[in-house]
Amino acid sequence: MKEFIDTLFVFSIQLLVMLFLAPLVNGIIKKTKARLQNRRGASIIQPYFDLAKLLRKEVVIPVTSSWIFRVTPYIAFASTLAIVLLVPTIFAPVPFHWVGDIITVIYLFAIARFFVALAGIDAGSAFGGLGSSREMSIASIIEPAMMLAIFTVAVTAGSTDLSIIVNRLSTTPASMVHPSHVLAFIGLFIVTIAETGRIPVDNPATHLELTMIHEAMILEYSGRYLAFIEWASQIKLLIFLSLLANMFVPIGMAADVSSISLIIGIAAFTIKVFVLAIIVALIETLNAKLRLFRVPELLMVAFVLSLIALILYFIIGT
Amino acid sequence: MLNPQWISLSIEILAATILVTAFIIVSSRSLLFYVRLFAMQSILLGAVALLVVIGYGETHILIAAALTIVVKGIVIPSALTKVIDKIKVRKEIDFTVNITTSLLICALIVILADSVARPILDQQQVSDLAVFRVLPVSIAIMMIGLFIMIARKQAVSQIIGLLTMENGVFLSGLSITYGMPLIVEIGIFFDIFVAVLILGVFVFRINQTFDTISTDILRKL
Repeated sequence: MKEFIDTLFVFSIQLLVMLFLAPLVNGIIKKTKARLQNRRGASIIQPYFDLAKLLRKEVVIPVTSSWIFRVTPYIAFASTLAIVLLVPTIFAPVPFHWVGDIITVIYLFAIARFFVALAGIDAGSAFGGLGSSREMSIASIIEPAMMLAIFTVAVTAGSTDLSIIVNRLSTTPASMVHPSHVLAFIGLFIVTIAETGRIPVDNPATHLELTMIHEAMILEYSGRYLAFIEWASQIKLLIFLSLLANMFVPIGMAADVSSISLIIGIAAFTIKVFVLAIIVALIETLNAKLRLFRVPELLMVAFVLSLIALILYFIIGT
Repeated sequence: MLNPQWISLSIEILAATILVTAFIIVSSRSLLFYVRLFAMQSILLGAVALLVVIGYGETHILIAAALTIVVKGIVIPSALTKVIDKIKVRKEIDFTVNITTSLLICALIVILADSVARPILDQQQVSDLAVFRVLPVSIAIMMIGLFIMIARKQAVSQIIGLLTMENGVFLSGLSITYGMPLIVEIGIFFDIFVAVLILGVFVFRINQTFDTISTDILRKL
């Protein structure tokens, strides 16, 4: 019985932290960007207000759209929530880690992407179709790059289960420092930027017809539908940041439910994620958005780096 | 004395980073960026040489390491930057092989380099040394340098390709024999240094005569 309560406790903490930290991470990125550009910027808790406002607002649905348009926000949000339960954040073995491994995570992302792309076409506006086609063509390079980067770490740990990877790496700290991990980290970082629609690939702040990718697909959404999609994409960013943080630097993960290791776990996780968020903001400030036809080149760098990481693992060995 | 395991680990990581810089050179198109990446690559290489000095007590590489950092890390890049400033060509626009394909070919090169180096490594008894395992990486860097020379048309990028190849040679020297004899190293440095100066002047002259530094045009002489 105690075990059951512990599992439930871990489960709910994981869910709550991810749900309610995600808008804050987004706010921090926006604030950092604003300060770097000599602006005051909105408060870092602004994204919470935005979500609350959107949830209260009325929903407008295009007359041409079908049920797909209405069901997509929930599918996107639900699949993201499912991923949250599989990715180790504060606890090293997440309670439901036996449900799915990294391949499940990648394909849960794919489900969300597939439905959002469908909804983009479904709404019947010209921009939606454009955004969908761009998103899918970028995704076709991101997915293998992400898989290879994570497989590199998986090979080191000898498992594709995220929790086992993190556990093995944190018990043998020497194996974390490996040349192929450096490459895989860079590869996964580029994937993170591309997947979450950050600046060298997509600009989350504008609605400029020619450049937008993710924004173009969700252009017709409003009210609580928009809130769910936005929230899902904020959680997605947090998931990627915690993958980066916990797979490559699995320090301070809580292994049990005692209050001390919990506090250390939460503190370590927030610090790691905030540092990564600030790095993302720095990259957004220092770079201009790439022309769409140049984006595949950047993604190819990520793909090749991840591939080389995997090859180097076998060349240099353990 | 430092823990030899950490020394070998840092050598491996630095070698991997050098390989990454070679890949970034292949993936970019700005000439100034090439030069900066090359400078970074050379400084990392100097760091590898210094680690070999510290970890394995090969003091004769100390001079080679210092030369690498000063000549290839500072002097040659600044000379090339001046050339680029003068000829006012900033970007590579026309490619023989486009960037995406180039990157994939370079990934294949790494696999090829490994399969070339594997038989050599297998015959040795001392293969547990980390420096030794860097051999495939150094062969890959050499071949990527060669590939840059083949795939890029601008004269400046071809110089960078040559220099990258030379860095690969130096790294492989370090990995097999802890560096070549000093007299050979100095000879190579002098060679490279003069070559870059002459090539720099040459690029400038090509630009004056043809209004471009694309070596494609040279066939029409």
